[in-house]
Amino acid sequence: MNWFTILGLIVVGCPTLLVVVLGVASIIDRPLSERWSSRLVQIAMVAGLLASVAILVMMLNDDDRRVPIELGHWVVLSEHGHMTAKQLANSDHAHHALFHFSFKFEFDRLSVPFVILTFILCGTIGAFAEKYMHREAGYNRFFMLYSIFVLGMVLTSLAGTIETLFTGWELVGLSSTLLVAFYHERQNPCRNGLRIWIVYRLSDCGLLMAALLLHHLSGEGDFDSLMGAGAWPEGVASLPPAQAFTVGLLLLIAVAGKSALIPFSGWLPRAMEGPTPSSAVFYGALSVHLGAYLLLRISPLLALSPALSALVVILGLSSALFAAFTGRVQTDIKSALSFASLTQVGFIVAEIGLFAWLGHRWNMPKLLYIPLVHILGHGCVRTLQFVRAPSLLHDYGILENAIGGRMAFVPPRWSSALPQRWRTRMYRLALHRGNLDAILQKYIVDPLVASLKWLDGFDQWVVKRVNGKSDESVSDDS
Amino acid sequence: MERVNWIQKHLTEAAKLLPAQGPITAFVFLNSLQALEDLPFEQGLERGRELFGCETYLSEDRYREKLATGRIRVSNLVDELRADLGDRGGQPVGPSGTLFDLRLSMLISPVRLAPTEEIEWFIAETDALSKYGVEVLPEVGEQATEKTRQWAMREVRTNPANPWRQALPKVMDSGIEGWSRDEWTAFALKALWEVCRRGVKDVPLRKDPTPQNRHRDLFRAATGEDCDRLFNEILIPFCARFVDQGLATWELPHREQGFWKTFKELYGDDRLVERWLKALPGELQRLSALSPEEVIADSLRLLGVSDEEGPEFLTRELLALRGWAGTIWQAEDRGDRVGHPMPPGTLIEYMAVRLVLLRVALGYLVRREMPEVKSLAELRGVLRSRVSPAVETTNEERAIQVFQLAQILGWSASDLAAMSREQWCVLVNEIEAFHHPQRRRVFHQAFERRFRTQALDAITVHTRDRKGAKVENPLFQSVYCIDTREESFRRHLEEVCPRAETFGAAGFYGVAMYYKGVSDAYYQALCPIVVRPKNYVTEEVVFSLAESNRRRSTARKRLATASHQVHVGSRSMTGGALLTASLGVLASFPLVARVLFPATTSRIRRAFGSVVEPPRVTRLRIERSTEQPGPDGDSIGFSLSEMADVGERILSETGLRSGFARLVFFFGHGSFCLNNPHKSCYDCGACSGSAGGANARALAAMLNDSRVRKILAERGIAIPDTTVFIGGLHNTAKDTFYYFDLDQLPRTHTLDFETARDHLEEASRRNAQERCRRFYSAPLDITPGEAHLHVENRSEDLAQTRPEFGNASNAMCIVGRRERTQGLYLDRRSFLVSYDPTLDDSDSTILGRILGAVVIVCSGINLQYYFSYVDSVGWGAGTKLPHNITSLLGVMDGAASDLRTGLPWQGVEIHDPIRCLFVIEAHPEAIEKIMQRNPAVGNILRNGWVQLALLDPDSSQVQLYQNGKYVPYVPSINELPRAKTSVAWFRGWREHMDFAEIDPNGTSERQIPCPTT
Repeated sequence: MNWFTILGLIVVGCPTLLVVVLGVASIIDRPLSERWSSRLVQIAMVAGLLASVAILVMMLNDDDRRVPIELGHWVVLSEHGHMTAKQLANSDHAHHALFHFSFKFEFDRLSVPFVILTFILCGTIGAFAEKYMHREAGYNRFFMLYSIFVLGMVLTSLAGTIETLFTGWELVGLSSTLLVAFYHERQNPCRNGLRIWIVYRLSDCGLLMAALLLHHLSGEGDFDSLMGAGAWPEGVASLPPAQAFTVGLLLLIAVAGKSALIPFSGWLPRAMEGPTPSSAVFYGALSVHLGAYLLLRISPLLALSPALSALVVILGLSSALFAAFTGRVQTDIKSALSFASLTQVGFIVAEIGLFAWLGHRWNMPKLLYIPLVHILGHGCVRTLQFVRAPSLLHDYGILENAIGGRMAFVPPRWSSALPQRWRTRMYRLALHRGNLDAILQKYIVDPLVASLKWLDGFDQWVVKRVNGKSDESVSDDS
Repeated sequence: MERVNWIQKHLTEAAKLLPAQGPITAFVFLNSLQALEDLPFEQGLERGRELFGCETYLSEDRYREKLATGRIRVSNLVDELRADLGDRGGQPVGPSGTLFDLRLSMLISPVRLAPTEEIEWFIAETDALSKYGVEVLPEVGEQATEKTRQWAMREVRTNPANPWRQALPKVMDSGIEGWSRDEWTAFALKALWEVCRRGVKDVPLRKDPTPQNRHRDLFRAATGEDCDRLFNEILIPFCARFVDQGLATWELPHREQGFWKTFKELYGDDRLVERWLKALPGELQRLSALSPEEVIADSLRLLGVSDEEGPEFLTRELLALRGWAGTIWQAEDRGDRVGHPMPPGTLIEYMAVRLVLLRVALGYLVRREMPEVKSLAELRGVLRSRVSPAVETTNEERAIQVFQLAQILGWSASDLAAMSREQWCVLVNEIEAFHHPQRRRVFHQAFERRFRTQALDAITVHTRDRKGAKVENPLFQSVYCIDTREESFRRHLEEVCPRAETFGAAGFYGVAMYYKGVSDAYYQALCPIVVRPKNYVTEEVVFSLAESNRRRSTARKRLATASHQVHVGSRSMTGGALLTASLGVLASFPLVARVLFPATTSRIRRAFGSVVEPPRVTRLRIERSTEQPGPDGDSIGFSLSEMADVGERILSETGLRSGFARLVFFFGHGSFCLNNPHKSCYDCGACSGSAGGANARALAAMLNDSRVRKILAERGIAIPDTTVFIGGLHNTAKDTFYYFDLDQLPRTHTLDFETARDHLEEASRRNAQERCRRFYSAPLDITPGEAHLHVENRSEDLAQTRPEFGNASNAMCIVGRRERTQGLYLDRRSFLVSYDPTLDDSDSTILGRILGAVVIVCSGINLQYYFSYVDSVGWGAGTKLPHNITSLLGVMDGAASDLRTGLPWQGVEIHDPIRCLFVIEAHPEAIEKIMQRNPAVGNILRNGWVQLALLDPDSSQVQLYQNGKYVPYVPSINELPRAKTSVAWFRGWREHMDFAEIDPNGTSERQIPCPTT
């Protein structure tokens, strides 16, 4: 075991241990006291942060671009059936296997900065929540979900295989949903939590199918074999463009769901039901970036397919425009900030699409650092803004006093070019959040529910016919 | 036409029921049920519960917890029940015992109610039929078993005609003589259960009137679909846009045309995606020629609401989304308190929109769920026939109550079996009549009685033993707000410096004004919400510093504009991209610093901020030269005679008409804390949710004016030339003091000031220590110095949701001379109002004036806390963690809820919900006169929205006002606990403290008297 492995294990182990300790304590119904759980969170976050910073320093020092850490091969299926560990060690590699599943973490110039960001922001929010949640009934539950969230973020950012990524991705999704529904005694948080859960599940289908397809194409879910040998951002993928497009398209669905891009944007304002440090910060500033992060991870795929890159740019830009447009009419601070977040996330996504392709064309892969820096900067700014959201009234007071008058409304510049009637319509479109939810409801959900109802009716009709007319209880029961 | 008239009239009337909260930046403390103050307290609560659907008392379990910890005593329950029942108490109920016994045991032992299935499980699966309940005394159980044994062997077994033979077949067992005790117990319980089941069978069911007349409630009960939720998705965002004070950058088009027309413009065309909204544009077009009142009348007709039930229906629809409706109404009614006021009639237009949306949403749901119903007018008829009106109580559910009570009261099966049908009816009806709202009412009264007894005992004993005298030759005098938070401060100051004399008066100090500070953009009203001020006062930089002020204010303006652009820019597309991509990472520094090191960061920030702050040397412009007061130029300020009036009034009210010290302080108070939308609920209630420093400063400036003093001397108040008045501000979150206009302090008084300041600082450290005992995050053994640092840190912390507790735990209000209660430990639970009855005239003019303000302010604060505590989600704002600032006016939970009015849970957590106990140093005749003169005060006192006791000005006799009579109070103790200092008394304990005598000359640190028999 070298230093890298030890440090890497600390980075992953800290949040894992936190989940285990808090989880076991909760399961045996001995939740930790406020003091102890906050102390544990502090220790875990600081240790994780220090270890990841140490890794960064060592990598810069050794000019190491990529350090994979493998935690064993869990399932290996070869043409000769199961392989034992010994055989595996002897045999050349799992590359020859039909199916291969391993836990692998990858420390490179993409994941290390992102993991450091995660530890800084989550650590700060942990310290914030420790006081903010003081004496709240769900204190223990909050920190339980918080630790799962952190673990999910760390797993996702360090994932070296698509399965590892999926694990982290799902943990983030699960904890986020439960945090939205934190106040489960009220109806709205539960409804909104459920809605977000459904969006997550639907978009996760894309990720799952992409994982299957990857295995089908290359026999394993490792990113490095998919992306070629080079370290990020220099990797070159080895798939044919058509396959890259398919895989990329599936992943794009996952990205759109997690990052609230069009057409899934409706969930973002609905996520503002939980306590401020969770609802606001986690979706507004952290997990909403995960989609963009996944795109960065698979940037070699984008480089291969101009069509895919173009799609990413279009999706990103249209989401950004949509969010900027909708954000202007938001009258509550959390929605205003969440649409501001979405604007930038859309922008970041567009940047990734553009620079992945341009970087490939011009042989300047370093261009991809721009969206990465954008993510890091945006995460910090937005967290600060969300944390200070309750100060809004105070800030406005100071502002008005200094300026010496009320703040004026500034309608969008382009709107004055429209005829009056259309201005009102555009306003309504912004007010209804681009009708995205309504359209999904009307053209996807309602037909689906209707078809299920029809199938149910058909099913009953068949049952009736099969049982003959004597059996009337069937229809009564149903 | 007639319809239109009553609709308008009724809605204006019903609007008074809405939460009276304007913008959250000026929190107003008022009774949540202010509109019902003309009803007696209990009836008002009952009506409020029914109208608002909120709890008005604590849960029974919470009261029983208090019973277990001695905060309610059984004797209190007994007394309260006696008073409640009167002559009916002795009425026999059941086989033995009285109504009083029955109710008392229902209070003391929880009688569990459960659905039938649970009861069946309880009987079949638990030891319910083999052992007596835990609340049953063993000997009571034994005796009941024995009685049952005799009955079984001598009656049931031997008499073949006995009807219980079938139900209890076991009685014919031949081995009955050899049964063990356990077997007999089990038999007795089985018999009891059977008898109860049989007994309740013949008692007719009471019909509960269910006042559901909203379509939504009936429809939801029948189908589970909620039409309110459907149309709230349109209505709430629209309301937020309509009342927005500038949070969104894009204004709602046509807003100036009013609520109804704007809505019509927005939704009147035919392109809507949502399926349920399909009918809306057509409806709006059909109604486009009608006035809002006519639209309401039209909706009522289409909904099938008759004119008789119309008012009640409208009230309930209005209260359904009461946060938003209330805010709209406040912005319409009190336009002077918001930046963008609402035009008259907005609330009526809101109702018009609401009812149209209701019809559209309901129409859609009805078509989907109940296609057989053809019109909304007949909907309620169909629904009522479908939903059973009264909840059916099963036989088991009724029997289980008798079963439990019989065990506790020692009624055996044989006793009950012998009861006639009439007796059963009486018994069951009495049990059911004393259901949980009634029990909670009695519990509540007992809880109040317990506190009242303690408080009146303390006051009687204290005024009897310690004939306090006015401070002779005081070192300095200081006047504070009546706020409960100042009680502890004054006590500590008097302990630190026995020669300091303190007074209390409503914190706007009679200076009702619109005030504009030197760096403020607008005037704000600094006076109680019920007063509309006439005078305007501004703060100005002294002439020599005017140039530097101009420079700084320009710099401030530039900085603010720049920072605003950064803030807005960060939310825009390109600006945000440039900003976050380039400098974004730097935001991690302030983020981490402010969360982890709040106090240090704020010191650094302030050091930078001081560069552009307005210069410290400023003056108030308080003297006007024009005839009429006004907001500009020479009309700003008060005339000399107005100043003299203000001065005379406040000096007379506090009783400080003579014996002036060399220094007299007036302290306003305010609270400084960060990241808290509810900040203003910690500020001065008498200044309608703002800091009261300017009022104190203005008053001091007036009283320092020699011309004013001359007029006052003519009116009999001679202020010596050596007396100087100083205005100041007490920061109740940080426990610090700021003094105004010290540059004008004469050289001769510097030493006096420094001495006084040292005492004030020591007292504020001790005060911080006393406050810290309430904060769980502060250690119990904290020292005064550490405590001061702790409270400072709290107020600078972004994550702190409890910077202070405001007036939480307030429970009484003492109006009288300070020397009578000085040295009594009141635990920050009492408002203290100075009033000297010896200086008042025979009509009690001064007391009348004081009570006119104080009764309304204190009952408003007390009842706001009361309701926000008993039902935090219903009346209060719930937990503040998910709060989301909306339209710069209020907060929502999440992104689309009703506006949350009332106090957040974190602000009321330590409160005890009891009505304020007024103890006034006056004779009954004086109070009677005042109640007659001032109907608002009369209403509150007579109808019991506060409790009232009178302390005799010449003795320690207390009279309690009950049901219109003054009853002399007999104390139940002879001696109070004593402690040398306040610290010695409160240390080591976080909960409420008992009353105690603070006696610096005492023999031991703490001394608790032996309990008297």
